[in-house]
Amino acid sequence: MTGIIWVAGGLAALSALGVVFSPQPLYSALSLVLSIGALAVIFLVLNAQFLFVVQLIVYAGAVMVLFVFIIALLSPDREERFRVDARFAIGVTFAVGVTVAMLLAARNGITFNGNGFRAQQIGQASDPYHGFAFDQSDNGLVNTAGNVQSVGGQLFTTFLLPFEITSMLLLVSAIGAVYLTRRRRDPNAPVRRERALAREPQLEEDRIEVEVR
Amino acid sequence: MIASFSDIFSVGRLGTDGIVVILVKSVVIVLALATAAAYLTLAERKIAARVQLRIGPNRVGPMGLLQPAADAVKLLFKENAAPGGRDKLLYLAGPAIAGGAAIFAFAAIPVSGLTCVGGQTSGSGCAGGYALHWDLIHVNVSLLFVLAVTSVGVYSLFLGGYAANSKYSLLGGLRSSAQLISYEMAVAFALIGAVILAGSLDLEKIVLMQHDVWFVVLQPMAFLLYFTAALAETNRLPFDLPEAETELVAGYHTEYSSMRFGFYFLGEYINMVTVCSIATLVFLGGWLPLLPFIHSDWLGGLVGVGWFLAKVGALLFVMMWLRWTLPRFRYDRLMSFGWKVLLPLGLVNIVITGAIVGLRAS
Repeated sequence: MTGIIWVAGGLAALSALGVVFSPQPLYSALSLVLSIGALAVIFLVLNAQFLFVVQLIVYAGAVMVLFVFIIALLSPDREERFRVDARFAIGVTFAVGVTVAMLLAARNGITFNGNGFRAQQIGQASDPYHGFAFDQSDNGLVNTAGNVQSVGGQLFTTFLLPFEITSMLLLVSAIGAVYLTRRRRDPNAPVRRERALAREPQLEEDRIEVEVR
Repeated sequence: MIASFSDIFSVGRLGTDGIVVILVKSVVIVLALATAAAYLTLAERKIAARVQLRIGPNRVGPMGLLQPAADAVKLLFKENAAPGGRDKLLYLAGPAIAGGAAIFAFAAIPVSGLTCVGGQTSGSGCAGGYALHWDLIHVNVSLLFVLAVTSVGVYSLFLGGYAANSKYSLLGGLRSSAQLISYEMAVAFALIGAVILAGSLDLEKIVLMQHDVWFVVLQPMAFLLYFTAALAETNRLPFDLPEAETELVAGYHTEYSSMRFGFYFLGEYINMVTVCSIATLVFLGGWLPLLPFIHSDWLGGLVGVGWFLAKVGALLFVMMWLRWTLPRFRYDRLMSFGWKVLLPLGLVNIVITGAIVGLRAS
């Protein structure tokens, strides 16, 4: 089990680097798909089967398809090779710092909840939101209730308001996108049938050519 | 430390199966699917011939039964013609994903009920014998597992279309991505009605819930919606816009030849088997027989496989029959049919089913 986590984790990290460093945007997007897939495998090995499936359906199967779709349609040019300058150094320092800090925090059992950061003993971390003890020695515990039931129950009770607000947000953005891409029609412009009549060939050669086609 | 091979790969029930069982099941799945895909091509040509009052392939072997073998040999030994300006990596990734995702999705499909070899069935377990499960990977959301893995297959169509550097391929790829994403919604919404009745996303449990009455009786509309959307998901006529040969030469796989094309072909036919299997499991009672029959002993398990295959075969025949009966949709009609007809009907079905189940429970 640990073996597969290492392989999938390594793949996720490598493909995440690929997202940042690949010269072509399409390869960046595909690396992200690979990264999402590797994370999904980690979920599966940890027995979070529902999360595995949702990760694949929502992110890999829907969201990223649209990303890849748009990138391939616009087919942007290759990016310039990244330069090692002051900005790059600052960014790398920040990223490495945050990663190390998170690793240390996870190692020391520090969790974040509504009351801010808090140090906890490993193995005794209790879930601050729904109050059932999380026994880390048996990650099948969530599964005894059923992954789907746990997630669904929380979604429709504890987190109902945030859930509904999120869906509202999505609806608003969808309506906004439709409005922005709406084609504004000039009321004086001829309708399609009239345009076709307006392009009636004037010369005899034109007429023949049209008919031959 | 890593204890053993089965420990490394302990995902769900896989952990309890030994390495030998895992390997045997994997090999059986791959070989069975490849053979099924090969003979489905023959079946398709035979059925097409009968519909058009022809005889069909009958030269290779008795009644043309060796035709798939001849086709496979032809594909293997053909020259690998590939377009010049292609994206080399993605051009290879397309067929690989097509075949791989299609085969992987089938790993979670139970073809028969739990069989106790040399023991007594006790509840959902098996006392004193070997519990033979007729699927490779068991997850408690196996229905969603199959949908998730097949949804990754979209990349094969799109990448194949994009990487080949050809306008017909690209158009086919774009169409297929839009069509598959749209109809995935309709597929999911159609299945939810049956899932509400079964109260589980586990295909095995869904089948066992149909012990008294199949869900096709309780959910006739969901079954029709699912089957229609599944035709679009597998790019079958009347929804075969991604490879409409009269407009796009051959769509996303125009620029593929030999075995690379073969993998697309394989993936397509295996996907047909997969969607028909899902329809069988969710709506037609899976391996449950038409007549009451004890299905938990050794022979019963095999009989279950027979029933399952018979139902899947019947659905596959309907798919091929439809192909040679219905004309192709226009692209805008296809989109509005998916979004404005299938999806709302699916929603109505969910609301009605949910209301009835809720009222009966209270």
